[in-house]
Amino acid sequence: MQHRKPVAAIIAALVLTLVLPGLAKAHFQMIYTPEIALDKGGEVDMRLVFTHPFEAGHTMDMGAPEQFFMVFQRGAEGEPQKTDLKANLTPITWKSLTNSGKAFAIKQKLRSPGDYVFALVPAPYFEPEEKAYMQQITKMVLNVGGIPGNWDKPLGLPAEIVPLAKPYGLYAGNVFVGQVLADGKPASNAEIEVEFLNHAPAMASNSFEKKAAVTAPHDCFVTQTIKADANGVFVYAMPKAGWWGFAALGVGPVKEFDGKPMSQDALIWVKSVDMK
Amino acid sequence: MIVKMKMRVVLVIAALALALPGAALAHTALCTCFDNADGTITCEGGFSDGSSASGVALIVKDGSGKVIEQGAMDKTSKYTFKKPESAYMVVFDAGEGHKIEIDGKKILE
Repeated sequence: MQHRKPVAAIIAALVLTLVLPGLAKAHFQMIYTPEIALDKGGEVDMRLVFTHPFEAGHTMDMGAPEQFFMVFQRGAEGEPQKTDLKANLTPITWKSLTNSGKAFAIKQKLRSPGDYVFALVPAPYFEPEEKAYMQQITKMVLNVGGIPGNWDKPLGLPAEIVPLAKPYGLYAGNVFVGQVLADGKPASNAEIEVEFLNHAPAMASNSFEKKAAVTAPHDCFVTQTIKADANGVFVYAMPKAGWWGFAALGVGPVKEFDGKPMSQDALIWVKSVDMK
Repeated sequence: MIVKMKMRVVLVIAALALALPGAALAHTALCTCFDNADGTITCEGGFSDGSSASGVALIVKDGSGKVIEQGAMDKTSKYTFKKPESAYMVVFDAGEGHKIEIDGKKILE
């Protein structure tokens, strides 16, 4: 009787391993704002949308986030300052090309020069087709005034991508390098999905523009897949200016929610610009 | 032994001479000031490579160029002073090639 439990656990683990990689495919939690390298502070208008960014497709309903905050730091040795932003979120409806989903908007005043690392821990999302939950812990780094700070510092999230290239200072064609961490430790050989934000978000109407920037020649280009090395480090060269999302699937320590399997993913969004 | 020591000193100096000009060229001094709307002005500085501006001189001059206040950025690379009643200029002085002058008229809330 006693030896049955480990067997059951192994079977459960195997089932989870088999189910999870397919589970999160092409869903991307977004933290979006038009510009991330700002000369001056001011009011920054942001949207939190859980969608399929390349196709501007099916947008999922977001629940009230578990956490949404920013950590400001000016200078590599500066004091990090954390500000909880959850209470400032306004519920909105985001229109994709195929449906509408519950999302959030926030207008945040930023004054001081330095880095602002935004982090979102969304409510676990139940994906009915997979009969499983997913939770995409998402980061976006914005800079004011050119003085860097904590862009390369982990926030201590259960799953996160730490940039190894300044995420707001990238040209199209540059490589973006990041390290996937799970509970602060490198997530060896993590699988990372990459998507281009192919339809410009229209902030005023909370929707995606119909016009696509590019056409994928094959389904495998809609969501590209890369792997991290043994240290959890991955490299991706961005062929086009715009927003790029990176999602390391199922790397977080929480594998179950409400009695069902859960994929806890680590995401980051970066923006590349054309060299003119 | 003495010869060895001297060699080491020379090497260290050579290394410093090679390293320092690069360090100074590779970064840009940056400074932004705000009107706090309470009769004070706060300036926040730094460098494009993330190094601290703590201790960097912050000079406030009146319309005629006379120094009316002189201080240094604190450990958070910040300096707050009483807003002058007439025209003024802020100088963030991090040395040769790293000097920023900001006209008080352009310092807003």
